[in-house]
Amino acid sequence: MAAPPTPAGAAGVNGTAGAAGTTLSPAVAAIRVPFVNRLAGIVLILPGVLWLALFFLAPLVIILVVSLGTRDAGGHITLANPGVQNYIQATRPEYLPAFANSLRYAGITTILSILIGYPIAYWISRFGGRQKILLLILVMLPFWTSYLIRTYAWMIILRDNGVLNSILQAVGLTNDPIVFLNTDFSVILGMTYGFLPFAILPLFVSIDRMDHHLVEAARDLFASGRAAFLHVTLPLTMPGIIAAALLTFIPAIGDYVTPDLLGGAQTTTIAKIVQVLFTSGRDWPYGSALGFLLMVVTLAGTLLALRTLRREVLA
Amino acid sequence: MTPGPQDPQIVFERELERYLTDQRMTRRQMLARVAAVGAAVALAPVVAACNAAGVTSPSPSAASPSAPGASAPPSATPSPSRSPTPVPSPESELFIYNWDAYIGDHTVADFQSKYGIRVKYDKFPDADTQMTKLRSDGKGGGYDVSYPASTEIPALITDGVLLALDPGLIPNAANLRPEWTSPGYDPGNKYSMPNYWWTTGFAWDPGRIPDDLTSWDALWDIRWKSHMGMLDDQREVFAVAGFRLGLSPNTTSETDLDAMLAILKEQKPLLRKYTDDDIGDVTSGDLWISHAWSGDWYQMIADKPKTKYVVPATGAVRGNDTMVVLSGAKHPIAAQLWINYNLDAQVSANNTNYIGYMGPNAAAEALIDPAITGDQRLNPPQSILDKLVELLYLPPADLDKYTKRWTELRA
Repeated sequence: MAAPPTPAGAAGVNGTAGAAGTTLSPAVAAIRVPFVNRLAGIVLILPGVLWLALFFLAPLVIILVVSLGTRDAGGHITLANPGVQNYIQATRPEYLPAFANSLRYAGITTILSILIGYPIAYWISRFGGRQKILLLILVMLPFWTSYLIRTYAWMIILRDNGVLNSILQAVGLTNDPIVFLNTDFSVILGMTYGFLPFAILPLFVSIDRMDHHLVEAARDLFASGRAAFLHVTLPLTMPGIIAAALLTFIPAIGDYVTPDLLGGAQTTTIAKIVQVLFTSGRDWPYGSALGFLLMVVTLAGTLLALRTLRREVLA
Repeated sequence: MTPGPQDPQIVFERELERYLTDQRMTRRQMLARVAAVGAAVALAPVVAACNAAGVTSPSPSAASPSAPGASAPPSATPSPSRSPTPVPSPESELFIYNWDAYIGDHTVADFQSKYGIRVKYDKFPDADTQMTKLRSDGKGGGYDVSYPASTEIPALITDGVLLALDPGLIPNAANLRPEWTSPGYDPGNKYSMPNYWWTTGFAWDPGRIPDDLTSWDALWDIRWKSHMGMLDDQREVFAVAGFRLGLSPNTTSETDLDAMLAILKEQKPLLRKYTDDDIGDVTSGDLWISHAWSGDWYQMIADKPKTKYVVPATGAVRGNDTMVVLSGAKHPIAAQLWINYNLDAQVSANNTNYIGYMGPNAAAEALIDPAITGDQRLNPPQSILDKLVELLYLPPADLDKYTKRWTELRA
């Protein structure tokens, strides 16, 4: 969406230059300027393209190539007999529970992040006043500490003899410690905690950018607060909600650290299976295939969801 | 600049326009070309890595001291002092890669002051990270010395990651107990020296579980549901199932492995987690009972003195790790000096006294804390030693049988 202006603009200038006809120097100048612009554009985009090529495209291609390979008797990757056998292996039905866990955790995390993040973003935008920036900094404050350390902090809070159980026992709500850690609960809690800021920021941008006069107009026309929210605010901030959902769901489905540290024997995700294949299984081709497949499924699912959403909500 | 050169100007303009149009057209081609170059750039190291691996693997047992030098890819950065000099004067630096808190608390400092060698001591969090790093360039990832598990040694030798040791530089090898002079994973200790050895049993908190547990069956007891842990280690977990069923932990029989998987699937719903941190999970109280390494139990009792540990009499895993010099070592003499130093009776005893893992050092035994040597759980009697089984290296095709079932169990 951001890309079209440059070529279109350049074409427009070219067009006018052509129409200017035979007066030569301006014509030459008119042509020369976009050329320089184009050059400048290329120079500007070059670092980004190089970066993506080196650190996104290249690893992706490596994974793809490795996933088509096999291992020789000594365990070394070889491309002697390339094929899709790893992909066939990767679709083992035995992995479905782990895949279902990944989907479930990512889905619930996304919904919770939006449900919790939306009111926060709304409040900061509408009532933050001069403190808006400060409040946004507070939202991002957790990033100043390593995610790993914050996850360990959750372990200390949620352990059987941890902070939460101590409080519950002191208050008399429970005698025996409740098992919080290494459960679905702790995984979803940890992931929602971790991804919440990624939901709040795009939500804030879309809410803050919305013209609030439209809500006032709706109220003037006798819309209830609820109706105004449902028919004005919500549709107008839908792009923010979609952005928040994507920014939460996509990293959440591949999240390895949180389920591994806060999860337990019953919370295995597909990312853990990939890790096992790479490390103790020493089967990089197989692990690559499963990882690549996961990425393709995520991408396809995301595009499909986006399309449906756009058709239904933004049309 | 108007009338005369009008034609050339127009020609120029046209040329320029055509050039721009061409540019636009070729941009797609250029993108394709960039993609092609990107692919080539991306593929080159993959293919190179494969080739390098292919070159090094076929000649495993051509294990003369010169083999590692020969097997190092010629394109690698030349290291000035790789081959041992005739007069073994140690280098001034030494890069070591080891577990955290896995050595006597003043061993490194003592070595530095004794020999004037500056030691850079890096630590890894788990064995998978260690192996990935050591294998990253096929010759040790820039380190001189590391501590791989014995099960890694055959593959590391085959792949040329290790430097053959010079027995003349390690006279303290004479201190080894007879059973460690020629272990199965490295006959004659040509490439490695044994470092510590341990057992894998299970530990429990008698405050929660007063029973006197002796059998692996305890890890299938429904009473400890949600408070039971197994190590997050596929070979060790299958070994437990094997001991419980009377099957070898090194089995490659599909039937045996299916039987093991079946009882592990029964166990999984009772488990709280497959743990990477048996020490922390037991001492914090989350796990009442956990599959554990003997040395880890020794560290548990520092926090929770009453914690118990048992090596079931039906059999358990005996593991050991090793000290090796990496084939890419820039300081091979200092590295072997370090290994020799750690095989010294007093130094070896210091290491064991600090972390509680038994060493293979006969000369050190008299100097080890009697609380360790006298504890059957750390230093089992011969009757138990006879029941212990070493996990053997499995070639990929056999390891896959475990991995297939392990991922199925975990998913």
